[in-house]
Amino acid sequence: MKSPILSVESVDLAYGKAQVLHGVSLSVEPGEMVFIAGRNGAGKTTLLRTIAGFLPRAAGTVRYEGKDLGTVRPESVARSGIRYVAQDKRVFGKLTVRENIEIAAHVSGERVQEAVDRIVATYPPMEKFLDGSAGSLSGGQRQILLIGRALVGSPKLLLVDEPTEGLAAGTIEDIFRLLDGMKGRLSFLIVEQNLPVIARLADRVYLMKEGKIDRELATREEIEAPDSVERYL
Amino acid sequence: MIGTLIYGLTIGGILYIISIGLSLTFGTMRIVNFAHAFVYALGAYLLITAFRKMGLSFLAAAGFGVLAVLPVAYVIEAYVIRRLYGESLDYAIIATYAVLLIGVDLIKWVWGASPISLNDPIGKDVEILGVSLPVYRLVIITLAFVIYGGLYLFFRKTIVGKIVIAGLDDKDAVRSLGIDVDRYFSIVFLLGSGLAALGGVLYAPITSVHPYMGFQILLLCFAVVIVGGMGSLHGTFLSAFALGMVISLTGRFWGPAAETMVFVVMAVVLIFKPIDV
Ligand SMILES: Nc1ncnc2c1ncn2[C@@H]1O[C@H](COP(=O)(O)OP(=O)(O)OP(=O)(O)O)[C@@H](O)[C@H]1O
Ligand SMILES: [Mg+2]
Repeated sequence: MKSPILSVESVDLAYGKAQVLHGVSLSVEPGEMVFIAGRNGAGKTTLLRTIAGFLPRAAGTVRYEGKDLGTVRPESVARSGIRYVAQDKRVFGKLTVRENIEIAAHVSGERVQEAVDRIVATYPPMEKFLDGSAGSLSGGQRQILLIGRALVGSPKLLLVDEPTEGLAAGTIEDIFRLLDGMKGRLSFLIVEQNLPVIARLADRVYLMKEGKIDRELATREEIEAPDSVERYL
Repeated sequence: MIGTLIYGLTIGGILYIISIGLSLTFGTMRIVNFAHAFVYALGAYLLITAFRKMGLSFLAAAGFGVLAVLPVAYVIEAYVIRRLYGESLDYAIIATYAVLLIGVDLIKWVWGASPISLNDPIGKDVEILGVSLPVYRLVIITLAFVIYGGLYLFFRKTIVGKIVIAGLDDKDAVRSLGIDVDRYFSIVFLLGSGLAALGGVLYAPITSVHPYMGFQILLLCFAVVIVGGMGSLHGTFLSAFALGMVISLTGRFWGPAAETMVFVVMAVVLIFKPIDV
């Protein structure tokens, strides 16, 4: 068996006195696209932010490529090859689309033009917005920019929080195609509530409830079984 | 009238140069930095030492004043400001106010408490529309515009500036791209401190240099920052010149009310545009 690129082991997390994550364990294999689903307030965002280094764990370990991430800061987590795309779909609105990409390229040392070309290749309509304010993009275009921006510098693991939340059906299809096109090329841990998207893309699904992983769906039959994911949404 | 205008623009220019650092520190680090006033006064005192004691030209002494302040600002940033990240606003006010008080005592200890005055370093006038105006003031006004343009280019065209703009907008997102955004905020802090010192240096020949000069200017700069919008580059510029004009116009008709009027304007702005701190 391959060793997982990410393994989360018995993680507890509390905001002050309120414990939100209780002994959460999960893993992502190289090249795998793993989804997390669960109701509002289940602790999905908290889990991703913990892995991304924004929140200090009360207990448990997070290993990336076998190494304990310890108590490192988000910028070090990112530099080790993990990118986190937050739920809020906020881009750097005062900068242009190209400048958003330029900032992502700054640390990785990737050439800005190369990164821009790659994003335009996956989503051609972006070309005409490159020098416009990123703040005036639509929700879907922002999400595409956010994912594209996160891919600059060739990370090995992408953490994405609800990429299709609040988007129109056609736009969800754009995001789906973007994710589908990258499947297998790097590893993903995606929080998602959209059933069809999960069913079409997931290699495995973790179902969260009240700060715990309640169930894992490891086969296509389990994922596609009626009511399996739905009961948790 | 043109004299009043030029005086207003001069005060506005100096207020702008000093306020910009205050505004940026609030925008980037969410800290109201009283220690800024110490850095401002220190710039003026270092100028005097370099000019009077070391025998440098005014220009060289001014450069010395601005640069010599940077290590001091660095220490304030690394040992006080950086420890206040995420603390409540009032905690930061108390801590930076303490730095200001210590700084004022330090100035009294090194340079004494009595005011020092400097002559106009250019000492020439030009005649514009029949009014004779000190060239030095025109230089200050020009410098304020040059700094405004320079900062605009810095924030628009350099990667450091763009990272700061992005960080002002969404700090966590910049961090998740692997960028240690606090380092860039520190650069901005030093830049703002250098400008405060420059403000002190430029103002020294116009007013008198004394240990408490920082307190006086600080209140005016707070007014500028509040009227212009905390962390707003353009707002600070416009509001500095507007309040500079308020000071010179009020002063023309009723001297004692000149600075009070600034706070009346600030209060009016606060009533109509409440700030969200
Ligand atoms: N900064 C915070 N401070 C205190 N409690 C928080 C904080 N952020 C989240 N919580 C609480 O932690 C719990 C989990 O929140 P979290 O945002 O992780 O849920 P989620 O599964 O992502 O929900 P959603 O589907 O709405 O995004 C909730 O009860 C929430 O109120
Ligand atoms: Mg969430």
